[in-house]
Amino acid sequence: MLKQFSNFWYKFKEYIVLVVLVIVSLFTLSNNNNNSVKNVKTIAFSSFAFFSNIISNITTSALIKNENVQLRKMNAELMIQINLLRQYGIENQELKRLLALKDTTSLPLIPASVVSKSFNTTTNTFTLNSGQNDGVIPGMPVINDLGFIGIVQNVSENFSIIRTLRNVDLHLTVKDERSRVNSILKWDGDNLILTNIPYTSDIKIGDRIVISELSTIVPVTFPIGYIKSIDYSSTDIFNKVILQPFADLTLIENVFIIKMIQSTQINNLELNFYKKGL
Amino acid sequence: MKTKYFNSILVFIPLVLVQITLVRFISWNAIGPNLILIPLVFFTISNNQLFGTILGFSYGLLLDLFSGGLLGSAMLSFTVSGFIAGYFSNENKRHIYYKPLNFSFIVLLCSIISSIMFSFFTTIDFSRNLFTSIFDEGLLPGFYTSIIALIFIYFYPRRKLIEN
Repeated sequence: MLKQFSNFWYKFKEYIVLVVLVIVSLFTLSNNNNNSVKNVKTIAFSSFAFFSNIISNITTSALIKNENVQLRKMNAELMIQINLLRQYGIENQELKRLLALKDTTSLPLIPASVVSKSFNTTTNTFTLNSGQNDGVIPGMPVINDLGFIGIVQNVSENFSIIRTLRNVDLHLTVKDERSRVNSILKWDGDNLILTNIPYTSDIKIGDRIVISELSTIVPVTFPIGYIKSIDYSSTDIFNKVILQPFADLTLIENVFIIKMIQSTQINNLELNFYKKGL
Repeated sequence: MKTKYFNSILVFIPLVLVQITLVRFISWNAIGPNLILIPLVFFTISNNQLFGTILGFSYGLLLDLFSGGLLGSAMLSFTVSGFIAGYFSNENKRHIYYKPLNFSFIVLLCSIISSIMFSFFTTIDFSRNLFTSIFDEGLLPGFYTSIIALIFIYFYPRRKLIEN
């Protein structure tokens, strides 16, 4: 019996090992949402992120000079815009006071650098060098100067992983800034798509798309991008709308995590799709 | 025997750092090479299929853990890649498989299979065109990886290859 088993092992050991390892991999894949697996992942990626952070710091310092020039130019442009917005702000406060509307909460920003990026075209993630010690918690939105980037997915003491716009797991409620038409934004692996926009909706190429106030994940209206193309399908009642994001995810180096204080009253009342997604 | 395990892990650590932090600088339109696959194929050819399968599994596990991605996806794709590369570990033909174009072709084959498997398990939305997906996520990164493999094996000392 033992000899037979030994012969069998000798003949087919490569295949036996392959099958066992494939089963282990599939089992691990199916248990990704298990808490113990999540903990192991957090410990592993945070300890490794320490080393990748060092390399990232070295490489990014070489790019800083060029970035500084761009930032100075942007600063000047922003200064002009701020002056204009300040006037609107005063006017807005005055109007709000007259209408007795509550003002929005100020949003403190946590600066962070991108330590590493995954190159998976469907479930794109970034690792940032800010974590629990900086006050980051899962669910916080991440932006840069151009617009919305993603959502914090996983956090360790000093590092965090974010789901970017190029992640099929991230679905957002967005709206057309001009016509106020709401829709769901998702990444299909190739493009950012706006879904559930009926044929008759008032949308145009070039319209700015921002996060809707209806979003339970990010209830602040950050800009995302503009409508690049609209595909009118004769067989569907919905349009296929492709969005061009303002922020170029392949070039991003520095971002801001928004230390958002969410309203517990709203959270208790509404469905939180983010928690459901996790 | 122990040295080959040690060497393969020793090569992996700096390479995974480069893969995670620096590959983005040489990527084009989010398509980058899979540098981890090159030593996997290299060590598998110089050893055997069983070694390649286990090494692929180990590389995949570590990559999944370090990159913070979906745990199990790289494990599975690298295990299968290591197994396939193992078909080219014939002792009498190693010198042929280590020739630049042959080695590059083996890397291309393994990389395409690895990329397709990886994207298959990480893509949830199947509404995309299958051929476009295979082209974008399998062929393009595969070609990129094979070009890097070609450069690597071309400049790798012949003497060391013979020793292997």
